[in-house]
Amino acid sequence: MTLPAETRGRMTVTVTGDALALGGSIDESAALHELISRAQAGRLTLDLAAVTFINSLGVRDWIRMQAAAQKANLAVELRRVAEPLVHQLNMIIATRGNAQVSSFYAPYACDACGREESLLIDALANHERLIRLDPPAQMCPECGAQMAFNDFPERYFSFLAS
Amino acid sequence: MVAPSILIVHPDRKTQRTVQRILGVTGYKVDVADDVDQAVRLLAHLQPVLVVVDGAMQLPSLSELVDAGKARGAEACMTLLGQSSMSQVPAILGMGSVTNLLVHPMPVLAEELTITAQKLIKNDLFGAEKYLLWGTRLHETILTRASQRSHIVAELAESVRACGQSARVASMAMLVTDELLSNAVHNAPVDGNGEHYRKDLPRDGELELDARHQVRLRWGCDARYLAIEVNDSFGSLDRATILGSLAKNDIRESGGGAGMGVALTYRSCDHLVFNLAPGTRTEIIALIDVRYPPTERIQASSYNVFVQRPTP
Repeated sequence: MTLPAETRGRMTVTVTGDALALGGSIDESAALHELISRAQAGRLTLDLAAVTFINSLGVRDWIRMQAAAQKANLAVELRRVAEPLVHQLNMIIATRGNAQVSSFYAPYACDACGREESLLIDALANHERLIRLDPPAQMCPECGAQMAFNDFPERYFSFLAS
Repeated sequence: MVAPSILIVHPDRKTQRTVQRILGVTGYKVDVADDVDQAVRLLAHLQPVLVVVDGAMQLPSLSELVDAGKARGAEACMTLLGQSSMSQVPAILGMGSVTNLLVHPMPVLAEELTITAQKLIKNDLFGAEKYLLWGTRLHETILTRASQRSHIVAELAESVRACGQSARVASMAMLVTDELLSNAVHNAPVDGNGEHYRKDLPRDGELELDARHQVRLRWGCDARYLAIEVNDSFGSLDRATILGSLAKNDIRESGGGAGMGVALTYRSCDHLVFNLAPGTRTEIIALIDVRYPPTERIQASSYNVFVQRPTP
């Protein structure tokens, strides 16, 4: 079930099934730590596919949220993590907290037609190969050719190492 | 009087020659040393405006050379790093004394070296134009209220996408622009006692910016670089603060502390340039390499910290 979105500054929060879907910009007005009270049965699941931006103040708030979740013994699942957040998870170890990333978006490019696309990777199903820095194959949605991973695997997948 | 010169310290003959050819066009005498001992001996007879060093050098030697160059009045110590030496970056940042770091696949890119040398020699520091191809249009916006920041950032991202750039580039541009504008509005203003009187104000609060506090944003793209330039008229940012912020390891660990915006900006672009006129003006230029594919580039960022010399 999807409920109407609530707005926190430039970020939206929507309840979709068992997850809270965040969208838009995570910045100084997001008040992320308040989401802790929305956990269900000791679990907080965040769907992050629609996050377009996070700045340094949003990162601080995100770290506070992770710390509060750890203190409250909550299991945090990050689902469909958008690229801007993956960059932060890679740059700043503290943003990872104890969260489990179940899936995330990653940049791919098609050598045949030049299309660039952010594609979803199932982190659990592909765990072994991701640890080996071997991105799963993806097909170009435009021409059907095999796309190549479009970043440095050792950098982009470093958040999975912890 | 000793004529000003440029000193290159690098063990690789091919790199020596490449750098010598590039910097020779400045018209300055270019001296070359294979190692630190030879460089220190040469420095006794030289007065270099610029010392260009191999970044793969052992840290104590690099440090010795930077200090020796400074003692002879060298304006800047520029360190060159290739793909194989990327692991040296945190140590070089940690030194806190290397004011210019260029990273790229060897042999070096002529443009960055030449621009850095010319800026230092001519004492002409300001303007993103220096990093872009001739004719590149720079869009300009003046921030007159603090609350305009988020709108301007979103608008810039849309414009970047509209000119054909990828979502990755637009996303990096948003982060960089937001951090630089926020820094210029809230951290740059200082009073007569050097007090940063706006640094603790809530970032989402409204602030009317009078002429002194207004911030200028310019950006442009020449299909190699997307350049984002932010100017304030306080000139309060200093070299030591910048080098300390760039070296911050605790953003990896804690994500906290002052200077996090600078550290994030540096890690989100390919080249970060600080142009400082103390007490008058600070200009920060972030360059994002937009060439395709990004994996042909290098996994680290360059930076320059330039300080304008007082005119006689």
